[in-house]
Amino acid sequence: MRIRSFDYWEAPSLDEALTELTHSGTDVKVIAGGTDLVLNMKKKIILPPRIISLHNLKELDFIKIQDSKIRIGALSRHADLAANPLLRSHFPILCEAVGLIGSWQIRNVGTIGGNICNASPAADSVPALLVLDAQVILASKLAEKKIPLDAFFTGPGESVLEPDQILKEIVIKVPEHPSAGCYLKLRRRKAVDVSLAGVAFQAQTGTDGKTLTKVGIALGGVAPTSIRVAEAEAILVGLSLGEARAKISDCAKMTVQAASPIDDVRATASYRRTIIDAFFRQSARNVLNTLSERGGK
Amino acid sequence: MLVPINIYVNGEEYSLEVKPNRVLLDVLREDIGYTGTKKGCGLGKCGACTVLLDGRPVHSCLILAPQVDGKEITTIEGIAGEKPHVLQNAFVEKGAVQCGFCTPGMINTAKALLDTNPDPDEAEIKFAIAGNLCRCTGYNQIVSAIKTCAQSSSAGSTEKRVESNE
Repeated sequence: MRIRSFDYWEAPSLDEALTELTHSGTDVKVIAGGTDLVLNMKKKIILPPRIISLHNLKELDFIKIQDSKIRIGALSRHADLAANPLLRSHFPILCEAVGLIGSWQIRNVGTIGGNICNASPAADSVPALLVLDAQVILASKLAEKKIPLDAFFTGPGESVLEPDQILKEIVIKVPEHPSAGCYLKLRRRKAVDVSLAGVAFQAQTGTDGKTLTKVGIALGGVAPTSIRVAEAEAILVGLSLGEARAKISDCAKMTVQAASPIDDVRATASYRRTIIDAFFRQSARNVLNTLSERGGK
Repeated sequence: MLVPINIYVNGEEYSLEVKPNRVLLDVLREDIGYTGTKKGCGLGKCGACTVLLDGRPVHSCLILAPQVDGKEITTIEGIAGEKPHVLQNAFVEKGAVQCGFCTPGMINTAKALLDTNPDPDEAEIKFAIAGNLCRCTGYNQIVSAIKTCAQSSSAGSTEKRVESNE
């Protein structure tokens, strides 16, 4: 499987990469780990005449906490995220989700920035990041822009990222009160398979540890982009853990309605709906039970 | 266009000029002759081409050659010292090699697992090798071969060696 020839340039710094991008047209592709791009080049789906490589930019490879926010450099690899102690204590849902991407071999190379920019509707990191209210920083030579990840995707493989921009960083606010999350994903093979449907559920209680003050529900692989289910989130906010449990069935219905899955070779739309219903119930129960154990009732 | 790269394969330094559209797997097999690394699907799904890049298992079929400039690569040829590696012996003893095509990749992944987690349980072993397909489906023997190399295993562990010395 030959890859068509292209010109290659390795950026020595982010600044130089951004300068280069302002002079380049749309025929340039930016590469990080390349686990998606190289595959698509082999399959002749993408044939870029020129590639700018960011993979050695140490300045974009970090996970740190600053002013109660966790900042993740776009070049952080999935395996590093899954094992990071900071993330494991604050956002286990994200570690769970990226720990399910591809295989160990893929997780050692693929980056979170690449997973987002590739804009696959089935990207595993995205539903988890959405329920954590993650923001992304898009840098260009002229300006830096911080937008909610929710506003980033416009369709399958499409996003608001301009050709002269690089997704530089992901920012997530550390929750002040007890929180818990759960990501469940369906696939045919236990590894190296695209998610057929994914459900992320994240909830936070107030100071009392009993009332839900924040709820995030997101779905992957069942709509043109990953989506949030705001209607169901709104119903659960303000309820006690017990009241929330009684509403799981209603919310499951809403969540299934929010999805617009397709029939394809991997699964039928109706099977995907059944799975979303089951995964929603399971993840919501998991999260509410975890929060109960931490002191609420 | 040619890109100059310096790579360290099994401890030896190689300075090469490569076309950027070539992948690490082809450079290893065709340019420097490490044909122990196998080419299976070429799409990052089968794991036959697994090598260690700075100690971590990766699919060499999905990595552009210029992206490994300055990096250390271990192939199956670099796993053994003067004698075969314990994993290699275990694979032979347990009959974990059938057609043998997945074996170099399996051993590399297993080596990385034991380097990071010297005492993996069965679930951890299966999770680690989930990206390595064996089309002879000899997984039971492969998993048990890796298990015998785990610290707590009675076979091959230091404890046993101590006992036998007594």
